[in-house]
Parts: sequence; C-alpha cells; structure tokens
Amino acid sequence: MSLQVFFLLVFGGAAVWFGIVVFLTHSMVRSALALLFSQTAIGAMFLVMQAEFLGVLQIMMMATEMSIMAIFMVMFMMDPGGLGEMDMKHQRKTSLAAGLVAFFGALAVAVFADWGPVATDIPDAGEQVRLLGFELLGRSMLIFESAGLTILTAMIAATAVAVQARERKPKP
Amino acid sequence: MSEWLLILALVIGVYAVAVLESWASGNRLRLLGPVVSALALLGQESVLHRKNDRLFFETSPILLLIAALLSLAIIPLAPGLIVTDLATGALFFNAALAYVLVALIMAGWGPDGAYGMIGGWRFLGQLIAFAMLVVMPITAVAMRAESLSTITIVESQAQLWNIAYQPLGFVLFAIAGMAMAFVPPFDLPNAEGELAGGVEAEYTGVRRMVFRLGRMVLILSVASAATVFYLGGWLGPWLPAWAWSAVKILAVTALMLAGGRMFPRIREGTLLAWAWKLGIPLALVNIFLVGVLVLVVPL
Repeated sequence: MSLQVFFLLVFGGAAVWFGIVVFLTHSMVRSALALLFSQTAIGAMFLVMQAEFLGVLQIMMMATEMSIMAIFMVMFMMDPGGLGEMDMKHQRKTSLAAGLVAFFGALAVAVFADWGPVATDIPDAGEQVRLLGFELLGRSMLIFESAGLTILTAMIAATAVAVQARERKPKP
Repeated sequence: MSEWLLILALVIGVYAVAVLESWASGNRLRLLGPVVSALALLGQESVLHRKNDRLFFETSPILLLIAALLSLAIIPLAPGLIVTDLATGALFFNAALAYVLVALIMAGWGPDGAYGMIGGWRFLGQLIAFAMLVVMPITAVAMRAESLSTITIVESQAQLWNIAYQPLGFVLFAIAGMAMAFVPPFDLPNAEGELAGGVEAEYTGVRRMVFRLGRMVLILSVASAATVFYLGGWLGPWLPAWAWSAVKILAVTALMLAGGRMFPRIREGTLLAWAWKLGIPLALVNIFLVGVLVLVVPL
C-alpha cells in the first residue's frame, strides 16, 4: 500500500467519522463544526490525490461557509448548546432508507462505471491551475456564469426580504 | 539546514512581534517582557468554567496556533528559504487564515461566557468581510506575476515593487490584513474596555499563553504576507536576501501595531458597511486597473 493510498484512507475515514459526529452530538454548534471538519478532510483528500487547487479551495471555502451555518443554527434553534440533549436524528426510517439507497447507488456507480484508463502522468500543480482557468473561461463558462448569477439573484432576493420595509411618509 | 534556519527565524520573529506589541501598547521597549509574561502565565491557575464545551475550549488555542503557522509555510524569506513553495501559495495563505475564524468561534463558544461569545461571533462578520479584501488584492498581485506561487510573486517585482505598481491594492490589503489579525483598531473580538478581553477573557494560564502565541504568529504572518506580496520580499541592494526580508517584515509589524493605535475602534456595523460597500468596489477597481496596467505597461 503506497503512502498516498494510506493518507487517502486516513482522510476518508476522518471525513466519514466527522460526518457521523454531526448526528451523534446534541450541540448545534458542535454539529456544524463537525460538518466543517468533515469537509476539510475531503479537501485534504483532494490534496492527497494531487488536485492541489481544488483541495486548497475546498479547505478555504468550507471554513467560512460552515461557520456561517453555525451562527444561523444558533440564531434559529431554541437549544443551540445542546444542554437539553436534543436529538439530531429525525424521521429515522425514511432517512435511513434514503441514506442506504444513496450509499449503494454511489457504490454501484463507483464499481460498475467505466472510468477509463487510470491517469499516470498528472500535470504539476501550476499547470493544473492554468488548465482550470482555461476550463472555467472556456467550455464551462456558461455553467459557472449562470450558477453565479443565480446565487447573486438569490442573495439579493434574500436581503430584500430580510430588510425591514421603510415607512413611507404620507403625502401632504 | 534550511529547516533549522526557518524555525530559528520563526522563534526570533515571534519574539520580536511580542516585544513590538508591548512597545506599541505600553510605550516602553522591554526586551525581556515576553519572557516575564510567559513565566507569569505558566504559573497562573487554569480556571475551567461550569457548563463549558470542553472540547472547543481546549482545541481553540491550538487550532489558532496551527492555522497561523500553516499560513507562514508559504512565506519565502530568501530564495530557497521557504517551508513549501506551493503552486497555489497565495490562495493557501487565505485558506489557512480562514481557520483563525474557526478557532475564535470555538474560543468564544467554548467557555460559556457572554463576553467571549459576543467576541467570537463578532469576528465571524469581520473575517468574512475582510477575507474578501485579502483575496481580491492578492488576485491582482497574482495577475501581474501570472502565478500563485509566492516565490514567483516576489520575482515578478524585480523591476518595480507592487506597492508602487498597485498602491490601492496595498492599502486594501494592509487594512484587511490588520482586520484578519484583529490588531487595533480592528480588535473587535477581544476588545479591552468594552468586552473585557472578549474571546481571550475566559482563558487563563497555559491556554492563554498558547492563544497569545498563536496571535503573535498570526501578526507575523500577515506582516510577512504584506512584505512578500507588495514590498518585494527579499529583494533589495547591499544586504543579504534574508536580512531584507527580516527588516521589511519587522518594519511592517511595527507600523501595523503602532499605527493602528492612532485610530479609534470602529463599531462592528460601521466597519462591515465600509468593508462591503466601499472596500469591495475599490478592490474590483484595483483588479480592473491592474488588468489594464499589465496589458499596457508590463513591468
């Protein structure tokens, strides 16, 4: 077993373990940060698989995103610290079934899909950044631009809904 | 050999930052000050709070230290004197600093104290706003160097330092860097006088010492990044490369710590409004200007 496979297993295991912790804890903040570290472990997996830019990006984005989720949980839940021993698991049978279907579906795709030949000559990290840039501004431009525009629209709409309406002065 | 040199540079750098900080706040240059403070903190009782989140409370200072150390890993002090020359170095710097936020939220939440918690959540807004103002000027720096590698970025400034090539970017980066390292006047998460220490308030003894140490490394890291991205890193005449790095980093640290004290602390809402409504548009203007400059006057 090469060192690469070993670290892939370690970070993969960490990602799964932190994913489980999300549901084992009672505290909303712990749950959010467990999800954060699960995603960080996935970023570390990217790094192990020599996808440096994607790994660093994943590690960077998740820290802020999951922290934002944590503060929303604190704002909206009645027991964010978990002192009342709130259970994180709801609709057990449905979620268990959905989880199993998703797991075996992903497993089937991983095992039965034709992945083509394994890449042997991986471009170095600098070249990867360059190639990614050309991809983002070439073939995938439409997808990313429309996704970005959709998110921007949603952000503006959410802010507009959240901002308190100003009282208009009655006309004299 | 170079590993030991880097560790030595780190220790000296952190010590110098600690001395400079006490000089900036106390107006007295006490060269043995950090040693005395460290000994005092080692002897102090470690207080634990009721109903704390022990895991967060213990992890936070260590995570702060690790995040700050990681962000230093991509800083070159001289050609070849760098921990790791990542092809995504400039991005990695920001990725590591994002975990300062996680550490501060943990420190705020962990001890179950009101001041700490307000400080931690305050920093959430502050970091997210100012992380954008770190990334966007770095984008302009990377545009000129045509690389994210910090060594290439320094080499790209051989003709003209970035502080002269893109002064707007430097101003934005300096302000945002200070906000990321929460030095005055951006010390909202641990504001003395209004939050009684904020995120640091509940920490005592060894834990507080590790927390302070992490903070010093963080300040050193931000000053080093400003040097590498805008002040030509190790470039300079007469002195050897490492000496130029040291002089510039310490000068930036001193300016940051002493200059920041000249300004009053700003209210959280106002600070965030400035960052989003003024800072982000200016950063976009900077990217546009540098883009034009790179095409018209490639230096």
